Amino acid sequence: LLWTAQRTISTASRRQFENKVPEKQKLFQKGNGIPVHLKCGIADTLLYRAIMILTFGGTAYSIYQLAVASFPKKLD
Amino acid sequence: MTHQTHSYHMVNPSPWPLTGALSAFLMTSGLIMWFHFNSLILLALSLLTNTLTMYQWWRDIVRESTFQGHHTPTVQKGLRYGMILFILSEALFFMGFFWAFYHSSLAPTPELGGSWPPTGIHPLNPLEVPLLNTSVLLASGVSITWAHHSLMEGNRKHTLQALLITIMLGLYFTLLQASEYYETSFTISDGIYGSTFFVATGFHGLHVIIGSTFLIVCFMRQLTFHFTSNHHFGFEAAAWYWHFVDVVWLFLYISIYWWGS
Repeated sequence: LLWTAQRTISTASRRQFENKVPEKQKLFQKGNGIPVHLKCGIADTLLYRAIMILTFGGTAYSIYQLAVASFPKKLD
Repeated sequence: MTHQTHSYHMVNPSPWPLTGALSAFLMTSGLIMWFHFNSLILLALSLLTNTLTMYQWWRDIVRESTFQGHHTPTVQKGLRYGMILFILSEALFFMGFFWAFYHSSLAPTPELGGSWPPTGIHPLNPLEVPLLNTSVLLASGVSITWAHHSLMEGNRKHTLQALLITIMLGLYFTLLQASEYYETSFTISDGIYGSTFFVATGFHGLHVIIGSTFLIVCFMRQLTFHFTSNHHFGFEAAAWYWHFVDVVWLFLYISIYWWGS
């Protein structure tokens, strides 16, 4: 479902921002079966891998610390 | 090719709820490691993964709405209900702290000297920086309303200007409040006065920072032509949140700063 609408275009003569929304709409509406969180290519994939490694790694580290804390060293 | 015959949004499977939940787990474990074992690594990791989750989750929502067109009027209605319920839950959150304040201040114990403010506490003058802070937030409420009307009228330049003014006022409030925190003669550990003052105003300040961040995101989206004159719910949600933050401050000012001095 294409959801195009009016977007205001500035006629100010200073620094212009181009309206890149239509090309983004084309990119994200490609019927390639890629889920939205990976649809923008390599940057998405790298970010996804990074956060997965950090969260699962962190969880494993956290459980390790729990194990260490569960068996305190005896103080002499 | 299959097409849905309803106006709801069937979201792609997403990893962000899981990473969000894991980051919350890391945050609680991280706090324990910090408090009891003097190690900051888990806490730092949790803040990083939490931020990454929020960035990617909300980035995907922008993609689903602005770029893929999934936010039909039906979907938008659901989002409106959601934002209203969330703000309501935040209002109840603050009500708890106001309850604590009034519980202690309406019947001050003998340990406090039987008075409020307690003996030895020198509160801030409500007619100085706190009054300025009140005017700053009220003005920001006006400017964000101007921004909204400009957006609805299709005036790009005025929308950006008014949004920028709102953000600047929010930042000004934060800086003023930070300097006030530095100037107080009392701390959070100064009895129940210190606790109620800093927990209530502290959580409020955090919400100002969150609201300002939301507004900055709206500013960037407006710059890149995401909003249209009749479809800009992200902006409206930010505006509602901002007004809520303003109202909480008014209650704080009247109860803690003014009546409580």
